[in-house]
Amino acid sequence: MSRITAPDRLRRVLAIVPWIVANPGHSVVDVAARFGLTEKALLDDLAVVYMVGLPPYSPDALVEVVIDEDGCVSIDLAEFFSRPLKLTPGQGLALLAASDAFLSVPGVEEDGSLARALTKLGATLGVVNSENRSTLDVQLGDVEERVLVVLKEATADCTDVVLDYYSFGRDSMSTRRVSPWRVFSDSGAWYVHGWCNKAQGERVFRLDRIASIEPTSDRSEHQPSDEGTSTSIFHPRPDDPRIRLRLSSSVAWVVEAYPCETVEHLENGDVEVSMVITAEAWLFRLLLRLGPDCEILDASSLGDVSTGVAAAASKILDRYSV
Amino acid sequence: MSKLERLLNLTAVLLDTARPLSAEQIRAKVHGYPPAGSAFHRAFERDKDDLRVLGIPLLVERVPATDPPQDGYRINADEYYLPDPALEPDELASLHLASIAVRVDGLADEEALWKLGGQDDVVNGEPLVASLPSNPILVPIFQAITNKRQLSFVYGDQKRQVDPWRLDFRRGRWYLSGFDHSRQAERSFRLDRVDGDVEMTGSVENEPTPSPGKASDRKGWELGESETIDVQLRVDKDLVETVSHQLGENKQRSEQPNPDGSVTFTVPVSNREAFRSFALGFLEHVEVVEPPEMRNDMIDWLTRFKENK
Repeated sequence: MSRITAPDRLRRVLAIVPWIVANPGHSVVDVAARFGLTEKALLDDLAVVYMVGLPPYSPDALVEVVIDEDGCVSIDLAEFFSRPLKLTPGQGLALLAASDAFLSVPGVEEDGSLARALTKLGATLGVVNSENRSTLDVQLGDVEERVLVVLKEATADCTDVVLDYYSFGRDSMSTRRVSPWRVFSDSGAWYVHGWCNKAQGERVFRLDRIASIEPTSDRSEHQPSDEGTSTSIFHPRPDDPRIRLRLSSSVAWVVEAYPCETVEHLENGDVEVSMVITAEAWLFRLLLRLGPDCEILDASSLGDVSTGVAAAASKILDRYSV
Repeated sequence: MSKLERLLNLTAVLLDTARPLSAEQIRAKVHGYPPAGSAFHRAFERDKDDLRVLGIPLLVERVPATDPPQDGYRINADEYYLPDPALEPDELASLHLASIAVRVDGLADEEALWKLGGQDDVVNGEPLVASLPSNPILVPIFQAITNKRQLSFVYGDQKRQVDPWRLDFRRGRWYLSGFDHSRQAERSFRLDRVDGDVEMTGSVENEPTPSPGKASDRKGWELGESETIDVQLRVDKDLVETVSHQLGENKQRSEQPNPDGSVTFTVPVSNREAFRSFALGFLEHVEVVEPPEMRNDMIDWLTRFKENK
């Protein structure tokens, strides 16, 4: 066991003693398990508690720890430790945010035990305003319940799924067989990381771009690599082409929305950025959206960008029968 | 005697006393301190720091009837004890599960769950599904909201005086909303754009007003100054669900799909440029159908690219 400091043990004791005071007669083994401790660590803590009390430290002023012959523990004469210490603001926030976030995940019962716990805890911590609405709200991102459920089951069972996926970067729809490893939410969207049979490599897919998904009963042949828990969504390579753009202040949101390698704020409010381009279709679309608010400064490592943008524009205009 | 034992005795004595105790009284009462002198003072200073780091509300007050005035110490029992939220075992287990699945960076710790009573059964936790970014001002803002304290901070090069109302986590970012005294209106602030620290000042003056929606929930095309128009957007079959999600709550979906499987959405738009930009994000897979002015605007916009070639 790693060395644990006196203040860390104090944290633990100030939480455990009130529980035993309120719930006498549980076995040492059960209490240790409840607080994630070894039996020895708990007995060591209790041995100290036994010596604690108020002046003059006469027997009637000392905490009484009793462990009976069945190994069940109770504590008396510890009025001053009858309730645990309040949660710190950080602890309260972490617990409420986690609960509220988890509650927004499709498939989690909206009025189940977590919702009840959140209401009670919110009231205790004063996180309700005069309108009786919570003052904290966490959303992990929209996702269709079925997509999430199928992926979670497949992840747990180590089976493959087949999905129709819209690649935003390449603007193409494709059907892929994927061995899902991990489902997670990041920056307001849901993703699945796994092995893609079509690409023959690890890929990360955005759940809201999955047009349809079907489970299979086939066991996954590919297991997560050592870095299998990596959740980085964007992996530029050194030899990927780059583009340099000058953005007027009205479209400076691009800096927040997409990864930029360099960002330079000019005095007139314009921004000069350099971006890695892994998919040209993505770039053409961005330029179509920005229009005259964006000037290309250097696209020498890319092909003929303006022809590409014009072609993309023509394709859309065809749809409008122009 | 162990340091743990001394810290526990100190906490017990300071919780038990109604009157502030001087350092000397504490040394005399609490077992485990060295004799009076610099060794005692060093130990006592460290102990006070240890209690404060745990969040124990240690008060420093004048000891009554001392001249010259002498500092005394006690723990404010009203601020120490956690009111019992009376959680049922299944509720506690759910909190456990949630705190394993979602973390706030740098804030997750098991002590909070210990305080609530540990866990009944070993929870076979879901793997981590999300870790929310933290920010140095996140906890102070949360504290100001729960304590109804006004905040002052610098945002967009300007000093703001804000009655904080709520914290929202949306699209991967934390937002504070509240009443901005310099603007005399409700405003939302992105925490990562606040410059420097936040400072708690007086008590809040304005209570939240019921508002139809949170600013951070509104879509770009709903945040415009111009008159709201209903725009019809036709979306190809394959992208219906994707686009539907991104259109948010205020859209209407046609009851029947079109014969080719595409679906038409009606969307209230008050910022036309923002909606054009959104629609262009889906290239030729979506089409602005109505009204003619929006459709023509799209055609003019695209024609310029075609001719600029």
